Amino acid sequence: MYKPISSLNHDWRQKAGFTVPEVAPRILSVGTATPPCKYTQEEVLELFQESSPKIRSVFLGGHIQSRYLYLPEPVDGALPQESNQQLLDKHLNGALEIGGQAIEECLRPLGLEPYDVDFFCALSTTGFLCPGITAHLIKKMGFRESVRRVDILGMGCNAGVNGLQTVTSYAAANPGKLGLLLCVEICSAAYVDNRSLSTAVVNSLFGDGAAAVLVRQDPADTWQQGPRVIDFESHIIPEALRAMRYDLDNTKLSFFLERDIPYVIGANVEKPVGRLLGRHGLKGKYVDHWIVHSGGKKVIDAIEYNIGLTNYDMRHTLGILRNYGNLSSGSILFSYKELTREGLIRSGDVGVVIAMGPGTSIETALVAW
Amino acid sequence: MYQYKTLKVKRDGNVVTAFLDRPDGRNAINMQMVRDLSDLIDKVEDASDVAVLVLRGNADVFTCGIDLRDFPVEKPRDIYGLQKWERMCRDLERMNKFTVAAVQGECTGGGLQLALLCDARIAESHAVFRLDEVEKGFLPGMATFRLAKYIGLGRAKNLILTGRSIRAAEARDWGILDQVCDQAEFEDLLTRTIESLLPFHPVALEMARRLLMESFSASYDDFLGHYLAAQHRCIHSEAFRRLVEEAGGKQGG
Repeated sequence: MYKPISSLNHDWRQKAGFTVPEVAPRILSVGTATPPCKYTQEEVLELFQESSPKIRSVFLGGHIQSRYLYLPEPVDGALPQESNQQLLDKHLNGALEIGGQAIEECLRPLGLEPYDVDFFCALSTTGFLCPGITAHLIKKMGFRESVRRVDILGMGCNAGVNGLQTVTSYAAANPGKLGLLLCVEICSAAYVDNRSLSTAVVNSLFGDGAAAVLVRQDPADTWQQGPRVIDFESHIIPEALRAMRYDLDNTKLSFFLERDIPYVIGANVEKPVGRLLGRHGLKGKYVDHWIVHSGGKKVIDAIEYNIGLTNYDMRHTLGILRNYGNLSSGSILFSYKELTREGLIRSGDVGVVIAMGPGTSIETALVAW
Repeated sequence: MYQYKTLKVKRDGNVVTAFLDRPDGRNAINMQMVRDLSDLIDKVEDASDVAVLVLRGNADVFTCGIDLRDFPVEKPRDIYGLQKWERMCRDLERMNKFTVAAVQGECTGGGLQLALLCDARIAESHAVFRLDEVEKGFLPGMATFRLAKYIGLGRAKNLILTGRSIRAAEARDWGILDQVCDQAEFEDLLTRTIESLLPFHPVALEMARRLLMESFSASYDDFLGHYLAAQHRCIHSEAFRRLVEEAGGKQGG
């Protein structure tokens, strides 16, 4: 596959006077985890015993091959209905299982333990609970009793960037301290099976997964350890407040996605990206790496065509969508992990993170190695 | 604004013309020219009052191709300079302006590749096109990727593997060129060509060109998704809003 030449980007950025602050919080490590069971789209259709050609085509045409899901044991080959209580339990138990695994995978390479973490931010949109996920994981994993914590609930797919803002702010204000971000989404705990097309779209798209990153500001850290998080830019579209939302279906939360929202996001994405790059004297074509939320094929197409990205720029976004589905808040961290494993990153490279979700909101971040 | 070692650049209204200009070396393409072209593309992209970029040489030669003097004899050779050339080519091909190649005289190697990158390609009848790299023992860049899309695999093989020259008329008949004319009419043809491209709707241009470039490689379903995203962008553009307003006016609202 074609590897982009980044030295030309470096030359150009130098000419444009782009500078990276010497000291900024760095993402030091990333860990991800999924439930043990993986399902192809065909297998999920079979379990839902779905025969409607329209719904079947939604499942099979979304550019997803498989997803990891916490699905209940089938009864006579079909999925039993889960009560609201069962869904909430599934969310908590799943979050503890894969959330804990993602944190371990994030800390292990650095020889760290939960006990070493100074600030712990957990976010989730797929289940409501009190006390929050941080409290449960602190008990389960042995964090310090003095660990500072924040739980963010209900912000949706863009929340990974909102969480990164929180952890980065902490790290910048407390040099040398370790901030941990956990995105954990048990989307299968927000499935409603009512045979309608709009729930089928949701049930065909979202997958379960958890991802954690560790952030620290320390002048001794280098680009090999991870990128500096330099800046953020947000954009909210208040007219599209209701385009992505939870509705109540009897006692269960049922996620709703408006048909046109991928294109509305596409039409707006240039605004935050333009502001973010513009104030650093950058241009899209001189960005080396794009880390974009795997929202679905339509929104990926719309972003590509609105800010001139290629399928190559989107290779990890498309790959994560194909193999995991839409992981909601954690998906950008899954893409980020794929990028770091690829071995193409060089010192001085620049990356842009884009995550979009309810609000309707588009959150972006600028990182540099 | 547009001062370069290897290019002479002229601005006339919303048209920027870049003359390849290395008189001592038959306009051979060296790294300096690649850098100059990259920089020019960048500046023209940012100039919101420019609609067209024209590439041309002088009356005798567009370019004789890659400048082999750029390769030091003794030092180890690497591929990165050639990669920079391809990156510049891609930027030119995907530019947010109309691009025109206006060829007179010799157009060899990288020169033909430059022409293939442009939206409109014209030549005067004495122009001669040639990809002589394989004959010499190397490759004609990513012309190997683009040429067959213009002229079909058979003709591309013939041109690239034999290194033979073709005249402007033949290049036109094969589909490399849009139009060919005599020397005396060349400036008129260039003016008409530019006029035929306008008006300039940047969104529609970028979307249409990108879809066309993908048309040989994408599957129908992928392409349909891309088309819908692109068309959504176009129907929300300023140009389309005006179009709809005008249409509404005729129907009496």
